[in-house]
Amino acid sequence: MSEFGPTVKAFLHQLILAIFVVIWLIPIYTMVINGLKSEFDVTSTPVFIPPLHPSLTAFAAVWSQLDVPLLNSVIVVIPVSLVATFIGAMAAYYFYLLSVSKRRSLNFMSNTIFSLIALATFMPYQAVIIPLTRIEANWGLLNTYGGAIFAFILFYIPTAALLMSMFMAVLPRDIIDAARIDGSGDLRTFFRIVVPLTIPGIISTLIFNVIEMWNNFFIPLVLFNVAKQTLIPVAVESFTGGYGTLYNESFAAAFLASIIPLLIFIFLGRYFIRGLVTLGTGGKGAV
Amino acid sequence: MVVTVKLSKVTKTFKKGKRNVEVLKGVDLVVERGACMGVLGPSGTGKTTLMRIIAGLEVPSSGEVYFDDKLVSTSNRIIVPPENRNIGMVFQSWALYPNMKAYDNIAFAVKNKGEETRKKIEEIAELLDILHALDRYPRELSGGQQQRVALARALAKDPSILVLDEPFSNLDARIRDSARALVKKVQKEFGVTALVVSHDPADIFSVADVAGVLLDGIFAQVGSPLELYDSPVSASVARLVGEINELDGVVEGGKLRVLRGVVERRDCQDGNVKVGIRPEDLRVSETEVQGMISLGKVRVKVSSYTGSSFRLVVSPLEEEKVELYVNSDRPMPINSEAVLLAKPEKIKVFKNN
Repeated sequence: MSEFGPTVKAFLHQLILAIFVVIWLIPIYTMVINGLKSEFDVTSTPVFIPPLHPSLTAFAAVWSQLDVPLLNSVIVVIPVSLVATFIGAMAAYYFYLLSVSKRRSLNFMSNTIFSLIALATFMPYQAVIIPLTRIEANWGLLNTYGGAIFAFILFYIPTAALLMSMFMAVLPRDIIDAARIDGSGDLRTFFRIVVPLTIPGIISTLIFNVIEMWNNFFIPLVLFNVAKQTLIPVAVESFTGGYGTLYNESFAAAFLASIIPLLIFIFLGRYFIRGLVTLGTGGKGAV
Repeated sequence: MVVTVKLSKVTKTFKKGKRNVEVLKGVDLVVERGACMGVLGPSGTGKTTLMRIIAGLEVPSSGEVYFDDKLVSTSNRIIVPPENRNIGMVFQSWALYPNMKAYDNIAFAVKNKGEETRKKIEEIAELLDILHALDRYPRELSGGQQQRVALARALAKDPSILVLDEPFSNLDARIRDSARALVKKVQKEFGVTALVVSHDPADIFSVADVAGVLLDGIFAQVGSPLELYDSPVSASVARLVGEINELDGVVEGGKLRVLRGVVERRDCQDGNVKVGIRPEDLRVSETEVQGMISLGKVRVKVSSYTGSSFRLVVSPLEEEKVELYVNSDRPMPINSEAVLLAKPEKIKVFKNN
């Protein structure tokens, strides 16, 4: 403490932060520079050295194959995460109301349903993918948006409800009581008070859901069997062929696939952090 | 419509682990229309539970709650839910909606949002001196302003009853008195039935017409604040309502013996008793004073200045362990000896338990 002045200390803090930032930027950096290399360069030059003659050939080649899966992913993931987060938040508020209720039957019900939801969240989806595929095949949902949406909704509403419950737990009880006394029904209280107060939580849950769904490889792998119509993680994986890998195209594909989660994180990340802080301290981060 | 609130034999039992804790043990209470009732009690005696039962936020384990003649809660059942009881409530924490400006906080409780409502809210805000604070968020307001916004929110909807839970405990001592005066003023102006819950007797004295002392889940005494102060039914009530010196005494043949003094007390039965004397009913003097009786000689241990008067701690010469608080209009040298005098009619006698 005494050996360093405040300037030196601040400098050390910044330096350590900078080192971490660099470490975390390395994957993005390598994806971009190796995507800009030619097929020969990418295998003959070290992975951290930028290309002498950057070209967009690999990106162009990849884009022509990724445009549809990328669009598919956007169409499926964004609305589903919005809906899942919204329904999850509503469910979480319902649990909050049940848990503060003094009626023993309601408390029991709250605990039971909550346990089921936790179970649904922690159950590996691989375990139920076969019955799910059977159901979807019977309903003619394979290879459709509907099929992917159904599967994601099924798996991510419980996750959203569980996450949102943690944010709801710090809602001050007095404020909810005050709203009731002021003649506000549950729905009005939810929209006018609970949602604004848990915005960091809602955005954190949304980001979490978007990223989880965007990166989910297994579900689209099973539910889609037409290469071009699948979602982005499966399409990216298809560049790693069984007979050889085009590394420059793999890098380019990986970068294109991560743009949307990256953008979301860059623009909404501060809410995510605020949300994590709320969870961590149990304080009223929302207020 | 302002209502009369009536509670009949209300009990409330909470389950704490395996144990049942009876917080309220058959409370009977009537708050007349337009009156302001104060409920005084130490923490953990069920004050807040009582208030939450009246508000409909808590279900009574047994007993009934009426608003006028209408049954609103009965055993294990809420008949009229809180949102339909038209209650104005000021929470200890104010419980303002942090995401809304003061105006919207107040307007949230009002059903119709027309021009008339705006005018009314502004009138109330003017009365409470928060007109300039209406377009600010709660976090931008001082504690006193927040409390007044909470009060405005409770009043704006023309409540049937106004419930205030420790409304002054979060305020600076400096502004507490003016806040009390303001609450009293608006309560009378609006003619609304009010219930104030507090552990601070000063709140009750300044606001309530009638007060009840809640001890161990039951009303130990109900009466005007003055009655509670001057004729408390027990030592515990006396202690809660204000500072009091407690001494041991003996009654024999209509005479009360306390310290070295003897007072005529025809209303007491013979035996050992507890004697209570408030500091302002005692005096330390070198000479006899008309209308006061001597309790013997004392030694001054502490002499301190509290605002406008002096506060002495004295001990009888022969009983160093007994310490009494005495209000005095002048300071006394430490270790000086003097005579302790008391107003005989103000000496309170309680059963020894």
